[in-house]
Amino acid sequence: MQYVKLPKENLEAFVQNLKAYGRVYGPVKIGEFYSFQEIKNSNEMSLDYTRTMIPPKKFFLKLKERIFTFDEKKGEYEEILEEGRIVVFGMHPCDINALKLMDKIYIDETPDKYYKMRRENAVIIGYSCHPDEYCFCQSLGTNYATDGFDLFLHELKDGFFVRIGTDKGNTIASENSELIKNVEGSDIDEFREAERKREEDFTLELNIRGLTDMLTLAYESEIWEEYADKCFSCGSCNLVCPTCRCYNVVDHVNLDLKSGERVRELDSCMLRKHGLVAGGLNFRPTRIERLRNRFNCKGSLREDMLNCVGCGRCTVYCPSKIDYVEVLKKVRGEL
Amino acid sequence: MENILLPNLAKIVRTEKMTAIEKFLQAELLDMKFAEKFDYKPGQFIEVSVMGVGEAPISICSIRTKKGLVDLCVRNVGRVTNAIHHLDVGSLVGIRGPYGNGFPMEEMEGSNLLLVAGGLGVAPLRSVLQYAIKNRAKYKGISVFYGIRTYDTMLFRDEFYNLLAEGDKLGCKFYLSYEDAKDKQCLSLEAEHSGMCMCGVVTKLFERIEISPEDTYAIICGPPIMYKFVVRELTKRNVPPEKIYMTLERRMKCGIGKCGHCIVGDGTSIKYVCKDGPVFTYWDALHTKGMI
Repeated sequence: MQYVKLPKENLEAFVQNLKAYGRVYGPVKIGEFYSFQEIKNSNEMSLDYTRTMIPPKKFFLKLKERIFTFDEKKGEYEEILEEGRIVVFGMHPCDINALKLMDKIYIDETPDKYYKMRRENAVIIGYSCHPDEYCFCQSLGTNYATDGFDLFLHELKDGFFVRIGTDKGNTIASENSELIKNVEGSDIDEFREAERKREEDFTLELNIRGLTDMLTLAYESEIWEEYADKCFSCGSCNLVCPTCRCYNVVDHVNLDLKSGERVRELDSCMLRKHGLVAGGLNFRPTRIERLRNRFNCKGSLREDMLNCVGCGRCTVYCPSKIDYVEVLKKVRGEL
Repeated sequence: MENILLPNLAKIVRTEKMTAIEKFLQAELLDMKFAEKFDYKPGQFIEVSVMGVGEAPISICSIRTKKGLVDLCVRNVGRVTNAIHHLDVGSLVGIRGPYGNGFPMEEMEGSNLLLVAGGLGVAPLRSVLQYAIKNRAKYKGISVFYGIRTYDTMLFRDEFYNLLAEGDKLGCKFYLSYEDAKDKQCLSLEAEHSGMCMCGVVTKLFERIEISPEDTYAIICGPPIMYKFVVRELTKRNVPPEKIYMTLERRMKCGIGKCGHCIVGDGTSIKYVCKDGPVFTYWDALHTKGMI
């Protein structure tokens, strides 16, 4: 890893220069929420944000996207590839680690062309954060990004301690060499101290050791019914989750009834039709089964890997105030 | 880079109405380069697209006999399958796949095979049967249980009549069960082939054969309710869970473990039916909750 320093007064110039790598998106405050929006100037961003409502997965697995057109008369399928380069500025470690989980599915096994292309066309610039009472990324080990970013900015009093994560990040740094300084001993001390303090500031904890076993053992537990009673089955948790990635596919037909396009859109395992097959049989007909399925899915992406990064969004944005960590503590029998 | 979500065009070259709600279709891929590598194992499935309607996962019901050809038996139950039923020879469809693990035909070599099919479940098992008969010397006894409700719902009638009458020549014992005790055609079939055809649910056929549990593999496909009962009969006869294979149905939008609809299981065992299956053993089902 290479380390450099970006002085605070150079941030604006740096953000302007980033436009050479694509449209620049950063965390912007809208009402009481934060959202990654395209920015023109660095002062539009609220870099002290806790979490955006919609995670940055929206740049890579679009909420809705056209994947190809079809034309029956011509007898052809034509893929729709919208190549646009973007820079996502200010991603927190949890969201960077969530993208790494998504990569495992969308790039490592049978690569998805659309996702992979967008990942390759994006510059990821991480940004240090401070936990609030809903963050439990520390428990999952996702409160620090060791890779998955091109550049990572850690805030210092008078600038940013920058970690260079990739070749791409290195190119950006060298092309902006007039804005960047070498790190000094005092910067390193400040970085160390900030990281130490950050680790201490976590208040929410979740013991994940053996969680997969605990979930299996709690499969018939009454807690699923208890929380299903509260759950609206609205799917908000899926929408805001940085690792939820179920999608649905629909065909839209043009007026000639011979041509049209196939669209894929984010789906939700909390919705009733998620487990429904043709003929009317539903493999997860009740909220109890759907809620339990979501927690089991989050609890194990693969048998040895959790599918959650502890960002806290599902708890924060649940209209019924179902507390994710509380549910898992009950699964463990701690509450 | 290959786009796995893009269907490959195929033309329907043969159709046959099999029952009131089931139709046989044969499709031929148009792109010879894709056809060349398009090979499939018994138990695999493909995603079939009808332009303007959508896509649905359909089991392949035969072994590959000619490059680029694929046989399907489709029940008209939903939007896409209804559209498939309206296709004629010459119509275009889109095909992705093949997907899924399929049955481990090599692992079963040297053993007896017992195929248990209920209703439309006979479609994927037909490819297992074709494979086993083509490679007859590799297997010991081959028995097929096929459960139907009435004569009208029986699929691949000519083929199975032939097996009822002359199965011995092919080294395959074929047993038929029917549920409607008043069905005249079934009654006459029973009169003709007593011992091989009887009234009742498919599990009743277990009365008719001896199973040697140490060298028998069971292969099951049918409506979800059937698995429990068939497994019970097999377990009673000491067939070990890892030698009971079954193929499952779920909602599937991608076929490659991404869309998330076919997920089953619990914390310690999460499976994607499309990618890790659709063929699973009863042992898988025992330690993966919600599978059957």
